[in-house]
Amino acid sequence: MTALPSPVREPAWSLSRSAIGLWVTESVISSLVLAIGAAAVVLFLPSEPGTPLPALRWLVPIAALLYAAVAIGVRPWFKHRVYRWEVTADAVFTRTGWLSQTWTLVPISRIQTVDVTRGVLQQLFGLSTVAVLTASSQGTVRIWHLESDVAQRVAEDLAHRAEQVRDQAT
Amino acid sequence: MTLPPGGPGRRTSPLIVLVHTVTFRQARQFVPAVIPLLAATGFGGGTRTVVALVVGVTALSLATAALTWWRFGYADGPATVVVTRGLLARSVRTVPNDRIRGVEVEAPVLHRLFGLVRVRIDAAAGATAGNDEELLIDGLPHAEGDRLRLAVLTHRSAPPQAPGADVEPERAGELFARFDNRWLLYAPLVGSYLAVPLAAVGALFRLADELPDRFRPHLDEYPLLDGHLLAFAVVAAVLLLTLGSVAGAAVVNWGFRLERQGGSLIATRGLVTRRHTELEIDRIRGCTVAEGAGMRLVGAARASALVTGLGDAARRGQLLPLGPRAEAWALTRRLVRDPGPLRRHPAAARRRRVVRAVFAGLLVTLAGVVATALEGWWPLLVAGVILTLLGIPLGLGRYAALGHAVGAESLAVRSGWAVREEAVLERRAVVAWRVEQSFFQRRAGLATVVACVGAGNGGYAAVDMAADEVPAFAVAASGPWAATLSQPAR
Repeated sequence: MTALPSPVREPAWSLSRSAIGLWVTESVISSLVLAIGAAAVVLFLPSEPGTPLPALRWLVPIAALLYAAVAIGVRPWFKHRVYRWEVTADAVFTRTGWLSQTWTLVPISRIQTVDVTRGVLQQLFGLSTVAVLTASSQGTVRIWHLESDVAQRVAEDLAHRAEQVRDQAT
Repeated sequence: MTLPPGGPGRRTSPLIVLVHTVTFRQARQFVPAVIPLLAATGFGGGTRTVVALVVGVTALSLATAALTWWRFGYADGPATVVVTRGLLARSVRTVPNDRIRGVEVEAPVLHRLFGLVRVRIDAAAGATAGNDEELLIDGLPHAEGDRLRLAVLTHRSAPPQAPGADVEPERAGELFARFDNRWLLYAPLVGSYLAVPLAAVGALFRLADELPDRFRPHLDEYPLLDGHLLAFAVVAAVLLLTLGSVAGAAVVNWGFRLERQGGSLIATRGLVTRRHTELEIDRIRGCTVAEGAGMRLVGAARASALVTGLGDAARRGQLLPLGPRAEAWALTRRLVRDPGPLRRHPAAARRRRVVRAVFAGLLVTLAGVVATALEGWWPLLVAGVILTLLGIPLGLGRYAALGHAVGAESLAVRSGWAVREEAVLERRAVVAWRVEQSFFQRRAGLATVVACVGAGNGGYAAVDMAADEVPAFAVAASGPWAATLSQPAR
């Protein structure tokens, strides 16, 4: 992916390594839920010969296993390379995503509110998410999984600077 | 009754009690409670019970309407509008004048009989649309409604006009657009107006379903497959749809006028219910011109303004509900600078549109090949091939709609085939940029750029533009802050 040109540059700072732990934990949980579903299919699906149903008995578990392998073994490290963020003199800039990537740029002068949220899993890893909201419902930038003290400082800094440079236009 | 300070307490007209009694406005909420009660006592009494019921319900309705009127008060002060209401639990809502985004005056039929209007004061903030952000003052005399509208919007209290004087200050405004009744003929080609008669037909069928058997015509006795009858039915249906959509468009848009008065645009429309909507020009951040596939055949279009903080923007922001393309564009150009002609997107974007449009057809074809090979069942294969072939012009059409432009003060993006929408935005409207690139877009060297705006639906996308043009486009279309996209911070 690095060989192909990127439409815009990548933000300067990466997330802490604890984010990988969080993503692995999330993937383990979703894989467990999927495993229960797959087990239900294997147990309760009628196995009459002559229909495509028996094929599902081994296709579904294999698909679930593949998902688990990718989600636990590959995706967290991949995401850690993609998720980046930066706060410059006049804007907040992030990149998120995995196979599809999204860059979001919000100028500090258009910031309306700054939220810090900590989910249950995030608290286990000492992480927080900073959400920067603008007047547009689609113009929200989220900096995922920062260390809580960093998140707190970033949020305070952004709120303070937004107060000073806010302009009338929304 | 206690009214808060800030101005003299005002009441709505007592005539509104009559209107609400007839329409059961307040009593409606009791209906779910009353029905099981009645069902429990049984409907055995015959005519006398029915009469008693009607009288009882009307009396209940009158009582609640009168109570509501008695407990309702409003006051418009120099800085705020205050509304007090509530039968038992009192609520006082205070809205500062500078948070008011728009005032709408509407006059439904019954209100017009009594010379009353309903005033909606919109104080929505940003994208959080909801009825909670709205003040509704129902049942003002016409002149008082106009006075309130002017007072709230000019943020100062004008002396109330004498009820007899039929002064129409709107006449002084500069006319921006006026509806030509010939434009109603476009209605059958517009999806949303076609939906009106379809909904009516649907309701009719539901009604027919509930009729007792003996009233229903016995359709199975007629030879339904008779060619003449079928042709007649089709012609009748088309005629009904056409007439219904024209009538629907006429009811909504009759006498549409858009004029400028001081710092606002005022739109008046409606045959049965007259609506009077006010948009502040200062808050207009751009316009959209939408053309459906059918509308493009006859060169019709619809223009809307993107206004920050306007609730129910799709309806209230309308500048021209239906009209010729040239008219819609002339209106848009008066409000937002022309950013110049649209630039086409690269050839890779065309490939991508066609591949996406053909994909579903190819899947069906594949399934058809399997079905033909295994079971000898070929109709699926034929359907798949036809779908695939139809996908090619669809993809080309979708590509032809794509484009973007940047001018000195504005930008434009266009996309869509079923409804082709071009958004022309002011530079200052852009509050954020979002650049999206999927795996396939990355391989094709394309990216989708969304200009996030605090108005309309929140964001307008330049789909599949060349990836290397993105930073320059963003800087030209918003401001130097967008340079962050390409240059590292010093």
